[in-house]
Amino acid sequence: MKVLLMGHPNVGKSVVFNRLTGVDVVTSNYPGTTVEYSEGSMLVEGQEVTIIDVPGTFSLNFRDKAEEVAVNMLDKEKDAIVISVLDSSKMERGLYLALEIMEHGYPLVLALNMWDMAKHKGIKIDVDRLGEILGIPVIPTMATSGEGISELISSLKVAKPVNVKDVRERLGITT
Amino acid sequence: MERILSDMDYDETGFMKEIKDDFRERLASMGIRKGKKIRMITRQPIKGPVVVEVDGCSTSLGLELAKQIIVKVDQ
Repeated sequence: MKVLLMGHPNVGKSVVFNRLTGVDVVTSNYPGTTVEYSEGSMLVEGQEVTIIDVPGTFSLNFRDKAEEVAVNMLDKEKDAIVISVLDSSKMERGLYLALEIMEHGYPLVLALNMWDMAKHKGIKIDVDRLGEILGIPVIPTMATSGEGISELISSLKVAKPVNVKDVRERLGITT
Repeated sequence: MERILSDMDYDETGFMKEIKDDFRERLASMGIRKGKKIRMITRQPIKGPVVVEVDGCSTSLGLELAKQIIVKVDQ
């Protein structure tokens, strides 16, 4: 099984990555660019899972080299599960990318990272409702302290592709 | 009153009224879209980027991008 960590730059993807993989980290250069990505592994119920820390991207319509690497990586790993990491205090733009990935047919898990920061800023997020609407696991995390990481790992096995049309229906959007 | 985002004054606020078609998706991925409240934080000199606040987050936009957004500024 392969898991891609995707999200905007500076949402804590690499911290989540380090939490998931421990010290077993390999860094490599992706051909043709200077952008690096990291690959590591972890064991989930005896099964080895490869985790790839994808460079940060704002959307899947890439506009620079780093984003192009990210998008190509997603295209290449057709069977991957994606953990969409987002900054809980910047939900809207994070969800934009998450929905784009969902539209491409990937099973998705949402990690609402920097949960403590959002709380501190007075932002309240109805995690259960968000999970209902999107039809995917939504896990609040604080990668720096490790909170939510074990829940994130166990949510991987229930991740499945979701049709964005169903999400729209649940929101009552008809146009 | 309407203004092009790049012409807004420091600390001026308003609602985004129009974003040119070719830039709409790109800006949406940054959380910038029609109808949202925006505040000018800084305009860097010598054709530098502008920094705006949307949803409590600062986002920097290149001058060219900032020129694509029309804002109905608060009086």
